[in-house]
Amino acid sequence: MSFKLKALLRSPWVFHLSTGSCNNCDIEVLDCLTPRFDIERFGMLLAGSIKHADVLLVTGSCNRKSVERMKRLYEQAPRPCLVVAIGECALSRGMFMHSYNCPVPLDKIIPVDVYIPGCPPKPEAIIAGVVKLIEKVKSKK
Amino acid sequence: MTREEVLKNLKNRFKDDIIEVFDKSSNRVYIDIKPGSLVSVATYVFNDLEARFNIATGVDVRYHMEILYHFTFEDLNLLISFRVKLPKDKLEIESLTSVFEGADWIEREMHELLGIDFKGHPDLRRLLLSEEWPEGVYPLRCDYKEWDEKAIRDRGV
Amino acid sequence: MIYVFYFFFFGFLLTAVIGLLASWIDRKVTARVQYRVGPPVLQPVIDIIKLLGKETLVPAGASKTTFLAAPLFGLASVMMVSTLLWMNNIMTGHSFIGDLIVVIYLLTIPSISIIMGGFASANPLASVGASREMKLVLGYELPFVLAVLVPVIKSGYSLRISNILGFQALNGVVVGSLSGVLALVVTIMCVQAKLALVPFDMPEAETEISGGALIEYSGSALAVYRLMKNMLLFVLPFFLIIIFMGGLRFDGIHLLYGALKYIGLVALITVIRNTNPRVRIDQAVKFFWGPMTAIAVIAVVLALMGK
Repeated sequence: MSFKLKALLRSPWVFHLSTGSCNNCDIEVLDCLTPRFDIERFGMLLAGSIKHADVLLVTGSCNRKSVERMKRLYEQAPRPCLVVAIGECALSRGMFMHSYNCPVPLDKIIPVDVYIPGCPPKPEAIIAGVVKLIEKVKSKK
Repeated sequence: MTREEVLKNLKNRFKDDIIEVFDKSSNRVYIDIKPGSLVSVATYVFNDLEARFNIATGVDVRYHMEILYHFTFEDLNLLISFRVKLPKDKLEIESLTSVFEGADWIEREMHELLGIDFKGHPDLRRLLLSEEWPEGVYPLRCDYKEWDEKAIRDRGV
Repeated sequence: MIYVFYFFFFGFLLTAVIGLLASWIDRKVTARVQYRVGPPVLQPVIDIIKLLGKETLVPAGASKTTFLAAPLFGLASVMMVSTLLWMNNIMTGHSFIGDLIVVIYLLTIPSISIIMGGFASANPLASVGASREMKLVLGYELPFVLAVLVPVIKSGYSLRISNILGFQALNGVVVGSLSGVLALVVTIMCVQAKLALVPFDMPEAETEISGGALIEYSGSALAVYRLMKNMLLFVLPFFLIIIFMGGLRFDGIHLLYGALKYIGLVALITVIRNTNPRVRIDQAVKFFWGPMTAIAVIAVVLALMGK
């Protein structure tokens, strides 16, 4: 595996992106940064700006209005960038599948690497999902 | 003023505007009024009785449309909802922005989602729907049909 | 030739290694204070290596040369300051009159490079961060220069760092006197503001203005900025140790004393960082022009009186 990717996996900076969620998944993601489920021991830091981000944590079912902003943000993230979809709304719009405001699910808009199901997923599930992401990237390249 | 005094005042003053009073519980009252007398009732409740305008709700009940205006009396722990029934072929009512400013955005939202026309509203443009949404299609109506061909409505499994 | 050796080995390599280690100490102590486990030892190094592997994006309306040259400008000045300080510490024959003034002048350049970088990115949030950094610099430079006058006065009005070191070797450290203690307190607060650490990290507020002056930086340019900040975490306490505590000596027990002096200063900076909230820019400027300048003036007057 290339040296660049090895360094990326040992210090992934996460950026939290909510495309119209009910904020439950956002609270669970924020829980991961608290002392009980500390993720700084894996080198993860919360990035303030999209240009410092390595991993995008996307929550929420994509509204029509937030789809354009999310596409612009995804283009601004410097490559290599990984995308993690958290919660049922980000996987397949969940219960908003027939809603007038959510036409397409997330993975038809931007390529997603790991899906973490749950409504909301527990912090243990989020950490397990990120570990699976690291193992997937390691085994693929 | 106690709760009974408030209700008696309203019944006496708007004798011919009130259609029905539904006294549901000690802190919840529904009063049906005629659409034409909305502004006078709202002015009286807001200025003289000093209630707080909470929110307005628009409902599409298959054969007509209703708008409920919720006013709260905080000291009495009372919420009064004024219900207005609009026929489907003439969906217009006077705007309450001349009485208080809090009705501005909720009337914009009701206009773009249900198609109710508010006469006298200063600025009736789009609030929540995106720019690509076509004009004249109101999503919260009973007879709304999907207009977007590119929408994916199954889970793909 | 000796200068080139000093520049690369002491100025860059040793400073970078000790600076990255100090940054790890800071993060680990912060984590422990918050009852968590912190990052592993090599974490700051891996951060910089990872940033070198990402692509560098330059925004469309930005002036490209200034945008990419600003971090190098800051890094070069930090390397020069480190070279000057190490040369004065190890071989005291090569200093010149006024090198204290050169060091103080060069230490403002890292902040100026952040300001340049913030204004060169065509982003209103970056401009807000850069303007806050400008106001902060205007705030803390005054008490900083006043407090640095105290060792100058005490060592017989000389502007050479080697004379200050020599005076302290003969007559005891400057921090042993009352004026020295007051001046040290003032400079530690000014160092906290120079490093943009809480409570003075409003130029780079993380979630308020999403990154402040560094919002548009990515990839190698951001790596250079982070390296500059980590090297400043070594250079500034080293400067304080030289002019207030007699410098670092490398024979016998004094090596341990020197390490304790440095780690003590870094630990003090970390503790201040963990126990304080972020202040607003007007509160910070009032703090520096009010109590801090008053204490610095009292320290200068006490030094003039000989205490």
